Amino acid sequence: MTATTAESGFFVALNRGRGAFLRFAAYLGAMVGIAAMAKFGAGAYEENAFLYQILSMKGLMWGGTGALAGCGLAVVASTLKPSLLDAKSARNFVPWLDGFVLMVVLAAIWALFEPAQSQISYDNQSNLFAGRVIMAMNVVFIFSAVSYIAYLFAPDSFIGRVATWSAYAGVYLGGSALLLRWHESYLFDLDIGHAPVSNLYEVFILLFCITAAIYLALEKRYQAKAMGAFVMTLVSAGVFFGVWLDSVGQADIKPLVPALQSYWMKIHVPMNFVGYGSFAVACGAGMAYLFRYRLESKGGTSKMLAIFPSLDQLDQLAYKAVAIGFPAFTLATILGAAWAAEAWGGYWSWDPKETWALIVWLIYGSYLHARVSHGWHGKALAWWAVAGFLVTVFCFLGVNMYLSGLHSYGHLS
Amino acid sequence: MTPEAFMANMPRMQSFPSFFKYIWQRLGSMSLAIILLVVLAIASVIGTVLLQNQGQADYLQQFGPLWYWVFRSLGLFDMYHTWWFLTILGFLMLSLSACLWRNVPKMLKDMRSRKATVTDKALKHFQYSNRWQLDGVSDVAAIQAAFQKRLQGWEFRTAEEGDRHSIRADKGRWNKWGYILVHSAILVILVGGWMGAHFGFRGNMAVPEGSADNEISFLQGTQTGHKTMPFMVRCNSFFIDFYPTGAPKEFRSNLTIIDGGKEVLTSDIIVNEPLYYKGVRIYQASFGDGGSDIVLKLFHMDGSEAITTASTQVYKSWTDKDTGIVLKITDFKPYNVENLADPGQAKKFQDLGPAVEYEMRGPGLKPVKIKSFMNPFVDLNGVNHGSFMMISLTGDDADYKPVALGLDLTHPVEWKLFHAFMKHLSALSGKQSKQANLEAFRAAMNDVFGEGERPKGFQEMAMRTLQAVNMLPQLPWPILPVLSDFTQHYYTGLQLARDPGMNVVWIGSALLVFGLCIMFYMPHRKLWLIVQPKDGGMTVTLAGMVNRNHLVFNKDFHDLFTKLGDDFAGLSS
Ligand code: HEM
Repeated sequence: MTATTAESGFFVALNRGRGAFLRFAAYLGAMVGIAAMAKFGAGAYEENAFLYQILSMKGLMWGGTGALAGCGLAVVASTLKPSLLDAKSARNFVPWLDGFVLMVVLAAIWALFEPAQSQISYDNQSNLFAGRVIMAMNVVFIFSAVSYIAYLFAPDSFIGRVATWSAYAGVYLGGSALLLRWHESYLFDLDIGHAPVSNLYEVFILLFCITAAIYLALEKRYQAKAMGAFVMTLVSAGVFFGVWLDSVGQADIKPLVPALQSYWMKIHVPMNFVGYGSFAVACGAGMAYLFRYRLESKGGTSKMLAIFPSLDQLDQLAYKAVAIGFPAFTLATILGAAWAAEAWGGYWSWDPKETWALIVWLIYGSYLHARVSHGWHGKALAWWAVAGFLVTVFCFLGVNMYLSGLHSYGHLS
Repeated sequence: MTPEAFMANMPRMQSFPSFFKYIWQRLGSMSLAIILLVVLAIASVIGTVLLQNQGQADYLQQFGPLWYWVFRSLGLFDMYHTWWFLTILGFLMLSLSACLWRNVPKMLKDMRSRKATVTDKALKHFQYSNRWQLDGVSDVAAIQAAFQKRLQGWEFRTAEEGDRHSIRADKGRWNKWGYILVHSAILVILVGGWMGAHFGFRGNMAVPEGSADNEISFLQGTQTGHKTMPFMVRCNSFFIDFYPTGAPKEFRSNLTIIDGGKEVLTSDIIVNEPLYYKGVRIYQASFGDGGSDIVLKLFHMDGSEAITTASTQVYKSWTDKDTGIVLKITDFKPYNVENLADPGQAKKFQDLGPAVEYEMRGPGLKPVKIKSFMNPFVDLNGVNHGSFMMISLTGDDADYKPVALGLDLTHPVEWKLFHAFMKHLSALSGKQSKQANLEAFRAAMNDVFGEGERPKGFQEMAMRTLQAVNMLPQLPWPILPVLSDFTQHYYTGLQLARDPGMNVVWIGSALLVFGLCIMFYMPHRKLWLIVQPKDGGMTVTLAGMVNRNHLVFNKDFHDLFTKLGDDFAGLSS
């Protein structure tokens, strides 16, 4: 792992300094503007038409005003305190937000390929275009995993680049497919429309994209390419599960039950999956650690060892991923509690899903403490990261499949 | 820890205070924290695997007497309220307090004191340190300026020790506040939860349309508790809205709060949008039938052609005086959306209309459960297949089987036609040719509609009557009760809750998230630049320390070292 990343001058300029800072402020302003529209705008928030509220003239006005205000504030603030221009948060977040804008553009392009309105029927959703984009995403993610594994055995920079670029492609395909699905849900009937985070199939795609994106961010910053073989293999396993879900008819867009018709869902669910995704990456780092540990103890092939991050670095990477996931998961759980308080009258009911979220949280909490306290070292912690992810998987899959409760939206029927 | 090691670690217990101090130290130790978190996680699993708060009889049947007794005495059926689970939580609070008590003063002191100097001995132990030998540079101020320019937004402190000039730079100096906030936030949340459990309540109330209630009921361990609210809630009306697929889209109740005999507030509530009155939140939780008025037509099967009516209500029983049959009405639904497509085909949802559900008992009859639909079954091609029912011989909902009665009983004339047909058929006395049957049907038609007169769609009617002839005589019941009219009343299922600890929990939650962000994303970074003249030039040492996130710091430290090297090289030329 070398200290600096060689990047072309244009991207460097784009993603730091004034440009990044102002853009970051504009994005934040636009988000605040949209939130303000949902809260205070005429007609306020409408579950059944929120996407079009954002995309309408009204949304443009609110979002645009917010963006301009954000930019203005940023100019003032950065004149008063120039050191703000180096703010890490702007530099770290701006590429993500840019990427999101790109996804929106992609989704808009895909929307051109949608079948004619007369061809669209709720009963047979197989001709919708998002399904095809998702299929492409599946293929690309699996291809990426294979390339990452190939890279381990043939550490050739071309293979490595192919692996990375296909992972990026997968993220953009998946993200834009989800956005397109949001649009598609309105095509049947405005009443049915809702954000694409309402069933297991949709959140799975979200999970792949978030996991891959978090991994790619770490890869870019810390040159940890060997870890990709593990993370993307996890993603591919998920892809197979998603394909199976599709094959048993769980991929259809279905209307929302009353309990889920809330703006809380749009915040709570994605935030949760930021947590899950980071834990998946931590698991990948843990597996890489254990793999390297085995290689070392067997005096394994030096070529592979040469491209692997060191044990200490892998340990740090796992920690880094948990450090992203733990606060996100904490916030998501609190948001869930707030939603429950509003919808059901109690912020905590010991419902199985809630309880398992608590269990996951406790497991990673104890992981963090174990790191600080003496006596627990690399290998044990790597196992902890792997086991923690198994618990996480049970929390978001097993609970839906085996235990009953309020979160039955994910039930496999 | 092995027992021996444990004993070795124990201080000699000469006095109670030293024992107490020992316990206090153990309580605030990190290993106890880890153990507590893991134990809490494992304990929580039990409550999700064993369904909580079910009927005791169900548990007994599921586990058998021995395990039932074991589980019950451990309180596993209402696990999260058992003394032992609460004790673990109590321990967690104690442990948190102990560890805050021990660490906070130290941390506050550390955050305030920033020693600029570092001894050479200490320098050896730094994980990050590197040095330059600068020849031909003597300007300490320029070196310091270059250092400070590279570290925008850092705080600096300098010290002079003989010829040794030290500059200390700090960033994220308040990082330990993250620790303090996170750990006190957990305490705050637990206190908030305790306040809610002790001073709050949460229970259910079912209010039929048009009536009012002020009592909630809730589970209290294995029993049901009751509580009276200081106001009445009246349900004026209840609506359900459906998606085209038949899935419910919205439940809405119009409620009026009556306080001290006066109507103080009228408002709609839906799921996710509760009503707030006098510290109590009122939520839309469920709904059901609130005693709808039901009119059944009883078709007497004794050949008398008689049709009588029974007017009753859901949840009531109705006894037929002639036959002794008792109908217990259990439920009514105005919409019954079913998938009519064949298995494997694309789904076709259709509303089959209103249906009433009742249990029928009578002398010499096996009790059955029946769902009787008001409308005849019209298939997707528009063909009327006559009235129908769902019948469960076991009384279990899973055993419902659709039964086509043949006749469309919404038209009394078909009931007449059926009897006329039966009469003519029996006149045939055993002759069973197709021709004879047709002849009998024609005669029946003439009887009912007049010579040669045929109503529209009589072919379908013929099919239905044939079906009825095969079907109806098989039914063992003296009467056939069919839903004929209704006036629907819903009840709305409300949940009423008050939680004075809730805001405390939200404050704790905010502190927790805020603290976590400080803790993880604003690590305390310390850098020292130590400048010391040597051999006509300067030895400059850069040393660094960080309390977490070494990956980034490592990278940044080396970046800084490279860049400063260039800066310093510029100074000497
Ligand atoms: C539910 C309970 C708790 C939660 C969620 C929690 C959370 C955390 C987190 C996230 C960290 C940061 C770890 C890191 O540096 O990566 C931490 C550190 C720490 N925790 Fe806890 N903790 C809890 C209970 C406790 C208890 C009971 C103790 C006392 C024994 C304790 C003592 C500590 C200590 C000493 C540190 C290290 C602080 C430092 O040096 O920065 N924690 N805790």
